[in-house]
Amino acid sequence: MAGQSNHELSLFSAEELEFIAEDEIVDIVPNLKMGPLNFISGDFGPFTPQIVTQVPLWLAIALKKRGKCSIHPPQWMSVEKLSQVLETERDSQEMSDQLPFHYVEISRLLFDHARDNIPNLYMVRSLIEDIRNVRFHKVETDLEGFNGRTIAVKIKNLSAMEVNIVRPFIGKALQAFYKHDSPELIPDPERVSDRRPQVVNNAPRRQLRR
Amino acid sequence: MYGRTACQLVKEFASGDEGQLVSFNSDLFQQVVAECSQHHLELQSLIRKIQEEGLDIQTARNADHYGALIHHLALVRNKRCLMAYVYNRAETIRNLVWKIGHVLPQEIEEKLCHAEEEHFRKHSTALKSYMSKVLVDLTVDMVPPKDPYIKVRVLDDIGDGILLSDDKTANFACHSMHLLKRTDAEQFISRGQMEELTG
Amino acid sequence: MASSSGAEGASLDDYDSLIATTDVELLKRAWRNEKAAPEILRFEFHLISRVKEQIQLMEETVEEKSSGGNNPLSVSLYQMDLDRTLFLLRSYLRIRIQKIEKYMFHILKTEELWNRLSKDEKDFARTCTGDLNRHLEETVLSKLPENYQSVLKQSVISEEDDMVPEPELDTFVLCRSKEYLTGIQLEDGPADDRSKLFEMEPGVLHFICYKSIKALVESGKIDLL
Repeated sequence: MAGQSNHELSLFSAEELEFIAEDEIVDIVPNLKMGPLNFISGDFGPFTPQIVTQVPLWLAIALKKRGKCSIHPPQWMSVEKLSQVLETERDSQEMSDQLPFHYVEISRLLFDHARDNIPNLYMVRSLIEDIRNVRFHKVETDLEGFNGRTIAVKIKNLSAMEVNIVRPFIGKALQAFYKHDSPELIPDPERVSDRRPQVVNNAPRRQLRR
Repeated sequence: MYGRTACQLVKEFASGDEGQLVSFNSDLFQQVVAECSQHHLELQSLIRKIQEEGLDIQTARNADHYGALIHHLALVRNKRCLMAYVYNRAETIRNLVWKIGHVLPQEIEEKLCHAEEEHFRKHSTALKSYMSKVLVDLTVDMVPPKDPYIKVRVLDDIGDGILLSDDKTANFACHSMHLLKRTDAEQFISRGQMEELTG
Repeated sequence: MASSSGAEGASLDDYDSLIATTDVELLKRAWRNEKAAPEILRFEFHLISRVKEQIQLMEETVEEKSSGGNNPLSVSLYQMDLDRTLFLLRSYLRIRIQKIEKYMFHILKTEELWNRLSKDEKDFARTCTGDLNRHLEETVLSKLPENYQSVLKQSVISEEDDMVPEPELDTFVLCRSKEYLTGIQLEDGPADDRSKLFEMEPGVLHFICYKSIKALVESGKIDLL
C-alpha cells in the first residue's frame, strides 16, 4: 500500500511524515462558539468567535474545511522571514535552524487547505521551493564529504523530509566505509586449518538472498 | 560443478520482484537434496578410507582428508541454499497476511507447496490469536487516518435528493460546493462528476 | 489530559513526567523509536495499558455523544482524535510483531531481547518459532544426512549457532539527545577512533552507529527519528 512505510528501511512514508507534522500547534480564529474538546491527545478550546486559540494543525484544518475558523500561518511563513532565511541559506554552507523540523509538511498542508489565509501566497510558496532546493543541494555536497574517517555525523538542522530522503544514503554509505576499512575482513591465512567452514558473519542467509 | 544446482535454486527465488513469489520448484529442490546425500556418501567413504589406513581422523591431512572436507563444505553450502530458499519464501509468505489478508487468492496458492500453505495458515492463526489477546486488530489502519470529510465541487448537474451515508440528502447542482464524506464522494469523483477541492 | 504515571525505573515515563507530556506524545515517541531501531525495544507496558484504557473510554464517550444528539461537528472531531490515537497504537504493536516475525530465532535465544517482549508477544513468538521450525524440518532438514539436521547450526561441528539471522546493530540511525551527553564510547569504526569518546549536544541531530547508543536509547536519553 502506498502510504505504508517500508519496514525494512524504517523510513517514514510521506503520509506518516504528514501525520506527525499535523500535531504542530497553530493559531486559529474561530467563528463559532463551542465548548472545550477533551481529546485523548490533549485539551483544546473552548472556542469563542474572534478569540485566538491554539490547536493542533489537523484540528485547525478540519475546522477550516468546515468553515468554522481561519488559520494564522506561522510566523516563519511570511515573505520577509522566508526571504531572510533564503539569503542565510545561500550565504553559508551551514543549514539554518530558523525553520521548524516539519516546515515542508506544514507549509504543504496550509497551501492545500488554507490558501486564503496566507498573504502573498505565490511569493511564499516560491520562496519555500527555493529554500528547499538550496538546502537539498547542501545536503548533497555534505554527503560527498564522507570518507572512512567519518564515524558519526552531526546533521545540523535538517528538516524531517530532508532527513527522510537522505537517511538511506547516509546509512548505507557509512556502513560501506566500515566494511572496506575494517581489518577483520582480511582473512588471516594462518588461521585456516580446520574443517569448520568459514563463516564471515552471523547471517549467511542474508548473503545468499541476493 | 558442486553447488551449481543449489545456486540456481536461490537465484530463482531472487529473480522474483520484491514480495513476488515464483512457483515452488520441487524438481530443483529434490536435485539439491539428492546431491546432499551423494556428498554424504562420498564423505563417509573417504573417512572410512582414512581410518582403514590407520590414520587419526582429527589430524590426518592427506588428499582424502581434503576430499572429505570438500564434500562436507559442499553439503553445508547446499544446506544453506535449501534453507535460504525455504526460509526466505516463508518470510514472503508470512508477509502476505499484512498485504492481502488471511485468505490467499488462488493465483498465489498455486505457487506454494503444501507445506507452505500450512505454514501460512498456522501463521495467520497465531496472528489472530495474538490480536484477540491484545484486543487490537493490527491488519487495519496501515496508513495514517485523514479527515473522513473532503470538500468537493460538483462538475455536472447530478440532481437533488441524493441520499448520503449519514442519512442526509444533498442537492448536487452544477458548480455547487459541498463537504462530503470521502467514501460518498468517491464514486462521483471517479466518474468525473465531482472534483476534490484544495485550498 | 492524562499524563504519565508512576515510577518505572529507566523508561520513557520518568523524564517526561517532569514536563507532563501526554500519553499520546509518549506513544508517538515510542512508535518512532521502535520504527527506527534495528532491534526490538522494551515493551512500554504501562503506557500501552493507559492508552488502551483511554481509547476504550473515548469510544464509549463518542458512542454516547453521537446517539445523544450532540453537536455532530464535535462528535466527528472526537472521532478523528480517536482514530489518530488508534493508528499510533496499532502501528506500534504492528512494528514489534513484524520484528518478532523477522528475527524470531534470534529473539528466542537472546535473553536481553526476550525480556523486552510483552507476555502476549512471547506467546506469539513461541508459537511462530515452533511453526517455522517444523516447516524447515519438514521441507529441508528431515531430508538431509544426520549430522546436518540442526536448524540453528550448519552442522554438528559448528561451534556456534551460525544460521540465525540477526538484526544489524551497526546500522546507522538518526537520533537526537534530550540532554548534553558525554563519554559515549563509539563501538564501531576504524580501530584508532574507537577509544575516542563522543559527545552529543541536546537537540542536534546525529547519524550514529546504533550499537554505540543502544544503552542510551533504552534509558530514554536519546530519541530515534
